[in-house]
Amino acid sequence: MMALFFSPRRRGIGGPLWVRIVLILVALSFLGLFLVLPLVAVFREALRDGFGAYLEAIKDPDAISAIKLTLITAAIAVPLNVVFGVLAAWAITKFDFKGKNLLITLIDLPFSVSPVVSGLIYVLLFGAQGWLGPWLESHNIQIIFAVPGIVLATVFVTFPFVARELIPLMAEQGRDDEEAALSLGASGWQTFWRVTVPNIRWGLLYGVLLCNARAMGEFGAVSVVSGHIRGETNTMPLHVEILYNEYNFAAAFAVASLLALLALVTLVLKSALEWRYGYHGSNTGH
Amino acid sequence: MSITLSGITKRFGDFTALDNVSLEARPGEFLALLGPSGSGKTTLLRIMAGLDFPDTGSVSFNGSDITDRPVADRAVGFVFQHYALFRHMTVAGNVGFGLSVKPRRERPTKEEIRRRVDDLLELVQLKHLGGRYPSQLSGGQRQRVALARALAVEPRILLLDEPFGALDAKVRKDLRRWLRELHERMGLTSIFVTHDQEEALELADRVVVMDHGKIEQVAVPVDVYDKPASAFVFDFVGESNRLPVTVGNGRIVFDNVAIEGAAPDIAEGAGQLFFRPHDARLTQEGAGVPATVSSARPRNGAVRIEAQVAGLELPLELDIPSDQAPSTGSAIFVQPTRAKLFPAGQTIASDQV
Repeated sequence: MMALFFSPRRRGIGGPLWVRIVLILVALSFLGLFLVLPLVAVFREALRDGFGAYLEAIKDPDAISAIKLTLITAAIAVPLNVVFGVLAAWAITKFDFKGKNLLITLIDLPFSVSPVVSGLIYVLLFGAQGWLGPWLESHNIQIIFAVPGIVLATVFVTFPFVARELIPLMAEQGRDDEEAALSLGASGWQTFWRVTVPNIRWGLLYGVLLCNARAMGEFGAVSVVSGHIRGETNTMPLHVEILYNEYNFAAAFAVASLLALLALVTLVLKSALEWRYGYHGSNTGH
Repeated sequence: MSITLSGITKRFGDFTALDNVSLEARPGEFLALLGPSGSGKTTLLRIMAGLDFPDTGSVSFNGSDITDRPVADRAVGFVFQHYALFRHMTVAGNVGFGLSVKPRRERPTKEEIRRRVDDLLELVQLKHLGGRYPSQLSGGQRQRVALARALAVEPRILLLDEPFGALDAKVRKDLRRWLRELHERMGLTSIFVTHDQEEALELADRVVVMDHGKIEQVAVPVDVYDKPASAFVFDFVGESNRLPVTVGNGRIVFDNVAIEGAAPDIAEGAGQLFFRPHDARLTQEGAGVPATVSSARPRNGAVRIEAQVAGLELPLELDIPSDQAPSTGSAIFVQPTRAKLFPAGQTIASDQV
């Protein structure tokens, strides 16, 4: 590999040898400094007081509750966004209609807006002083500073992942396969399950992975609507922050290490998918 | 099964894809829709299939109106330009798809489906490839799988969109002959779209020449070539030369030279005269359009002459028997022996490029 990289035949593209070595070293040290080092630090800090203390911190009831809430939130947000994402991508790529570009722009909105603002939108809507606040209060429904608010904010923030992944894939595949299935007498439902879903399954899986990672890791939007009630409305990222602010570093890093692990697993799966099926895995999937 | 289209108009935004088109396909007929890209031929085919729907006009099969019926209810087999094979299914899975999605009451048993798939694969000469995936097949094989898949649901009408467009020349020719045989054996009404005039003339019972969302001519291949209904058809089908002429006093005149070979059967004034490369006579002197030979190359057992005419942008192309061919640079006189006159206003395919 290195031999190929530094072989004379490549000189025309890469410039002199020392330029290439310097560039590679800069890139590697940047990567090490900003990505690898912090990751190592998280695990080091987490295990500083030994594995026993690490387990203890994770088994703490508040930590367990935060993990549970995070899992519940992801378990609701991810399936919802799979459905929304597939529907949006389907509508955008398989039909022509007025306002299509507006819809594409709207899908990107959560990416372009600060997560804190996303959270505040829900406070404005559902909070005690918000537009729907009085009505909700009179019906005894609590959204802000409760689990529904956290789920709503997470759904909003993670909305684009699945749709964004599927739109280019489905646009590239066109409508021919679906039209072929319909012309062979398949119903819309049969066409969707037997032709469309198999065609997009790898892209969909990829989108789900990214969506899930963000749903579990979201801090800003959730922080605004959560209310930080220990054991009730704290997700893992919020719990980490609380522990850290209390100078309980070992416990903070223990929980943080779980999130870091999730990120690593996501990355490994993502790379595995890319390696196995090529970028976006559209053409060779069978 | 006959197909009747009447008064079909279809717009996509500001673009008029089809403009009041009427057409009839007779039972058992093999019809070609021929035209340049953007002429509306594929849209017309998709409207017959029920994949697109006309803004106005109606579609009937055997006299009964099916304009609003979706594709699934029309019993048509549709072969897509790029085949649209299901990439995650085997060849057998693709061919059997139409049978396996039937409502439970009508669905054949698994064995029955397997037997029918085997029969179809034998029909398209791919019996041993049932277990392969589409990505493992050549273009010609994919094309035949797409055909077998369309035939599996026993359609009464077969619609093919540029069926040979993505294939190389040799495979194309073989597949063409094979498709023609298949059409006759199955007794289907078949309609295919093509921009290749040779394909249309060779394969079809009748050719429908289209341009700009309108039908220019519907005729048997010989008539499309020999009796083109418009300047567009003359220019688009086969090779042709065009001379701007003036018609008056029962004579056709180009640059003070009287032209023979055509009847002055249009209104007096400006006209355009078309003739094929093989429908001209060369003389060293005398009556004809003066020209200079700019190239002479062998072609199809004759010699293809390119002759520059003063005042004409394009050279005339003429096929002359090799023993009579003039040399490059010599001055000649060209006289069409068989030509056709059209009014000056008619546009031709080359004007649109």
